[in-house]
Amino acid sequence: MKNRLKVLRAERDWSQAHLAQELSVSRQTVNALETGRYDPSLPLAFKIARLFEMPIESIFIDEEG
Amino acid sequence: MSFKSFKPLGVRGALLVFAVSLGLGLIGGVLGVILSEQPGVAGFAMTAVMLSLVMAAALSICVWWWRHLDEAAREAHKWAWFWGGTSGMAVGAVLLMALSLRRDEVVLPQWAGETPPELLLNGMMAILLFQLAGYGLAWAWWWLGRR
Repeated sequence: MKNRLKVLRAERDWSQAHLAQELSVSRQTVNALETGRYDPSLPLAFKIARLFEMPIESIFIDEEG
Repeated sequence: MSFKSFKPLGVRGALLVFAVSLGLGLIGGVLGVILSEQPGVAGFAMTAVMLSLVMAAALSICVWWWRHLDEAAREAHKWAWFWGGTSGMAVGAVLLMALSLRRDEVVLPQWAGETPPELLLNGMMAILLFQLAGYGLAWAWWWLGRR
């Protein structure tokens, strides 16, 4: 699933390590999320949405929709 | 089983888990050798109790370690254990079954054992090693595909 994580992170001038710390995940996980090669669980997706203060569907793009 | 996520361990934490596990294995090994000198049912019972305690401690470490993994790391381990472990077991099983079915043509090395109990135990350990090898490869494959 594609997402806008990398763009949103860059807009805030955050490093992957900083985002990882905010989400309580490893930097490798943030990288896997940003490249779209790992889809987060629903709880993690909600956590990301809360962090960026945006709805989930504004961050994650449903390519089948 | 689902656990609440904690802060990821990082390299230092993983090394700590590895060192503690290694220490636990060492203690279990030394105690096993000492207890193997004890004769009879009492000796067997003491060995079984000691091994149970060591395994319980190992599982406790495993639970603590798992609780400090994030969801992607857990997914990598679950995927690797199923696909890598299963594939490794399949490869090991082909090898062991071929060896056991062609005993007349194949001369087993001495370390494989000679008595039925030795062969059984070494066969089980060999399958475990194949599973672990497959697991390790699959785990690396999972993360390499997500870099």
